Amino acid sequence: MFGFTKKIFFLLLLAALFSCHDEGPLTVDDDIASGGETTVYGSYISIFQQPAANLTAAEINHHRAADVAFGNQFVTSPALINAGLGPLFNQNSCESCHLSNGRSPFPNTSDNLEGFLIRLSIPGEGAQGQPLGAPGYGGQLQTKAVYGKAAEALVTWQEEEIDFMYPDGKTVQLVKPIFHLENTYTIMGNDVMISPRMATPIIGLGLLEAIDANDLIALADPGDVDGDGISGHPNMVWDELQQQVSIGRFGWKAGNPTLVQQTAGAYKEDMGITNPLFHVENSVGQTQGDSLVDDPEIDLEILQTTAFYTQSLGVPARRNTEDPNVRRGKELFNTLNCSGCHHPSYQTGNHEFAFLSNQRIFPYTDLLLHDMGEGLADHRPEFQADGREWRTAPLWGIGLTHIVGAHTRFLHDGRARSIEEAIMWHGGEAQKSRDDFSVMSEPDRNALINFLESL
Amino acid sequence: MYKLLYATLFTLSIFLFSSCGNDPVDQPDDYSAVLENITQDVILNTYQDLDTKSELLVFALDALASNPSEQNLENARQAWRDARVPWEQSEGFLFGPVDQQGIDPSIDSWPVNETDLDAVLQSGQTLTKSYIDGLDGTLKGFHTIEYLLFGTSSNKQLNEFDARQFEYLKACSESLAGATTQLYISWIPSGENFAANLIKAGQSGQSIYPSQKSALQEIVTGIIVIADEVANGKINDPLSQQDVTLEESRFSANSKADFADNMRSIQNIYLGIFQNPTGEGISSIIKSKNESLDASVRVSIQNSIDKIEAIEGTFTSAIFNSPQSVINAQNEVRDLQQLLESQVLPIITNL
Repeated sequence: MFGFTKKIFFLLLLAALFSCHDEGPLTVDDDIASGGETTVYGSYISIFQQPAANLTAAEINHHRAADVAFGNQFVTSPALINAGLGPLFNQNSCESCHLSNGRSPFPNTSDNLEGFLIRLSIPGEGAQGQPLGAPGYGGQLQTKAVYGKAAEALVTWQEEEIDFMYPDGKTVQLVKPIFHLENTYTIMGNDVMISPRMATPIIGLGLLEAIDANDLIALADPGDVDGDGISGHPNMVWDELQQQVSIGRFGWKAGNPTLVQQTAGAYKEDMGITNPLFHVENSVGQTQGDSLVDDPEIDLEILQTTAFYTQSLGVPARRNTEDPNVRRGKELFNTLNCSGCHHPSYQTGNHEFAFLSNQRIFPYTDLLLHDMGEGLADHRPEFQADGREWRTAPLWGIGLTHIVGAHTRFLHDGRARSIEEAIMWHGGEAQKSRDDFSVMSEPDRNALINFLESL
Repeated sequence: MYKLLYATLFTLSIFLFSSCGNDPVDQPDDYSAVLENITQDVILNTYQDLDTKSELLVFALDALASNPSEQNLENARQAWRDARVPWEQSEGFLFGPVDQQGIDPSIDSWPVNETDLDAVLQSGQTLTKSYIDGLDGTLKGFHTIEYLLFGTSSNKQLNEFDARQFEYLKACSESLAGATTQLYISWIPSGENFAANLIKAGQSGQSIYPSQKSALQEIVTGIIVIADEVANGKINDPLSQQDVTLEESRFSANSKADFADNMRSIQNIYLGIFQNPTGEGISSIIKSKNESLDASVRVSIQNSIDKIEAIEGTFTSAIFNSPQSVINAQNEVRDLQQLLESQVLPIITNL
């Protein structure tokens, strides 16, 4: 009897302690702290630039050095510092594409392509299953060059408009940019496939790297055995460091297995900076290649430091979680089976950086490849991703896009001008969810969007 | 005795339940005066000053090009230093259009792409503002002008200038002034009015900031970022590696002024004083919560400025010849950063 009373009191006390959980990250199983202990709190422009909340003093110092490396602007060789830009490149620093560390806006003119690039390849695949670069151009179109060399092409586009009317009479207009390559510096074959890509937010990437590969593979259902119309599969890609096939996690088609490799690829292709993983210039074998004996242009320490910046940023907490619309939208997100691909949560495994290990996170992605239908298809395969498949994009931080980047452009080529348009572009395996969304009442559609805006 | 314990626990439970955000007088404090003053007096006036001084630099370089005299050379160099002041004083608030519209690289890219710059100068390219506008940041802005105007050792002689360099300097300053005008217009109410976001923070539909607290977090994070950059980047990199090529304003020997003006940027935001001597800043919020912290922050900002100005000789020589004076300044800025990060920011976050 005495023990029972005691238990009641302690339960009461415990309940009282945990009853205000939406005020902060008090409990481990609520979904406000999207990035587990890395989570940062606030709704302001520089929120994506905050270091993870659980770094040690030494890690904070490393993060700050990494921030400098991420902002470093490269210049043409020879130079006393930051030498090696190009000769062909897209931008001269990481930061110039990843403005405020957020999603890049759709370019306003052909001269301002910060945060935008085009991948190129021809049919077939290389020895490790990788796309075959286009003769004379390689695997990526460089739209800038150092003095005396030519940009590979001028990118132009026109927009195709598609009107849609919901059953309730409300309309939405979708626009699809059709890209063209003009003023090509040399002949480009007719068989060259192009894939436009926008820069993605760089928050939470270390946590995605820390998810146990088996947890991702367990979500795969390549034959759609469960019959829900969703048949995700992992991209298995070449790991340059391990010299073996690994599960792909990063990039629009999950073409990179690690952040060091993703970063190394960006140094080489985006800036023309050779490095220990990719030690030949992106212009190798082309008429515009350089003849300098200066490769690699950065060492392993700089490469790893820059990658560390993307591993050690905080993930912003959710907001407005008690709003009834947000709560309703969260239910609908599951009802419509959006969560079938945008897998809400994981407990991370072990990572070489302890602050990323064993965290309860809410990225809303399975990192798997899904057929997204003809509307979104780029028709350019990448390892095991075919021309209609894309990696499920993480959704954490999506509701801060308009604050961080002063825009709301989404999807691989930035075509969607709102979250609503992005949903309406979903096809293929997501067709059913998209169709179910479109027949919901307008308040329910808005509630779902409100939920996404709370992420 | 147990009864007393349980009674206490029970009361505690009731208290905890009742403290859960259903406080009937849960009226957030109003920080409109602080946000308005910081935006209008400090930020808008700093950007206006930057735009005015950049325009004066255009005139000074024009005068130098048409009459290359010693006096006009010194006038042009002084005009560069004068324009540098408001820019450095704006680095405590590098959020918004300067970042989101990608304006910063057109103003303050570093290092200079000397190889390409030399190639352009040797080419037959017509040098106009629009040509310079189209170049990468490392071929324009303050540091490219600095490189051409001061030389690499701050002792460039008049006879080392040629017509192509004057042409480049003129076009480059016009491009810089274009960028500072774009920045100013992006903030002012008669332009794109980014200012409204801060002033109307928390008003739904009027602002990107869902609350005044969010806007204040942005502002305080901004001054922490620049304290960090001065202490751990601008001062630390050349000092710890004993390498002058890592010093940003080495060509003009202007680094000490740059660093001190970065600290003044913090001071202007913190005190809320630029032209209006009685404006409210972050200080008035901190003072109401913790008066001694407010006093410490004020002292720490002033000490940072003083210790930076007390660095012996130029920064370039001091890192070798009197490193202790540099370390003293660095430590002071680090202390300030620590105060802002571990004590000021938590007060704002918990508003």
